[in-house]
Amino acid sequence: MPTMTVSGHRYRLDRRGVEAALAGELPEPIHEHFVVINGRRWPPKQVLALVTGLDRADFTTHQARRAMTRLGFTAARARSSRAQRARPAAELSSSGSAADNSDVRQPTLVEALRPFIGLWVAVRGDEVLVAAPSPQDVVAWLARHDQRAQAMFRVPESEQAITGAAPQ
Amino acid sequence: MRFLFRALPAASGGELTPRPVVDIALEGLLAAPIECLLDTGALRTRMSADLAPLAGIELDDSLTEEFFVAGVRTTGMLARVNLTVTDGTVEHSWDAPVWFCDPWPHPFGLAGLEGFLQHFLVTVSAYNGYLDVEPQPGGAMAANM
Repeated sequence: MPTMTVSGHRYRLDRRGVEAALAGELPEPIHEHFVVINGRRWPPKQVLALVTGLDRADFTTHQARRAMTRLGFTAARARSSRAQRARPAAELSSSGSAADNSDVRQPTLVEALRPFIGLWVAVRGDEVLVAAPSPQDVVAWLARHDQRAQAMFRVPESEQAITGAAPQ
Repeated sequence: MRFLFRALPAASGGELTPRPVVDIALEGLLAAPIECLLDTGALRTRMSADLAPLAGIELDDSLTEEFFVAGVRTTGMLARVNLTVTDGTVEHSWDAPVWFCDPWPHPFGLAGLEGFLQHFLVTVSAYNGYLDVEPQPGGAMAANM
């Protein structure tokens, strides 16, 4: 298990521990840098703060990003400040782990939604802003981060889930 | 306003057939417009009852009715609400009756005759995968540009 020093504190971190620390959390909006964990994009500082309990003012984005890439997570830079798309982990990891994938192609909305089948999502264009188990969680996230979505819906599990006789 | 048909991923791979949808925002929930399937066969506009409290819509004393949707018996609760559609540049708002249903089997709402289609001129181009929505001339509609 790698040992790293952040803001004068030593931590023993591994991939599984990081993934577990993010369970039940929702990624905040991506401004520039992100890391891919559990198939979703996360701001590096949010991840390191959750894992270590440190205040975000105690370390930089680059320190957080470097810590995550040392653990083998993919890190990249969003194409624009508005790029907040969650990405399938498989798509990113196929081009090499812990690599900077700044030039990976932008997925379509269908591809971006694939990791979130069964979840409620808020989308804007081809971007998935947030995915969560309930519409309450999605709306709370939008309010917390002052974001406005184009649409909110649950990604259906099957064709059968979106067919059926219309009501009168 | 033009709305492109929306394709969704299929759990088995590939994608589900793109469908005509409009994103309708409830008053009080403008940050999260609800994806609604355009349903020319539906007399009413319906969506999940879970969404009403998110917009501050009270359903306690609402008129209710029971019916089946997609083979599921459900209870609809009626509320007259202000709705908004926008393509990001133009925005139209109108008052309409919406039935909030519990349980609700669909992952989206249904935009039907009452509540939506009666207020708009809708042109569907399934071949090109879009629908155009324009306010019905003479209808009670507020527009912001």
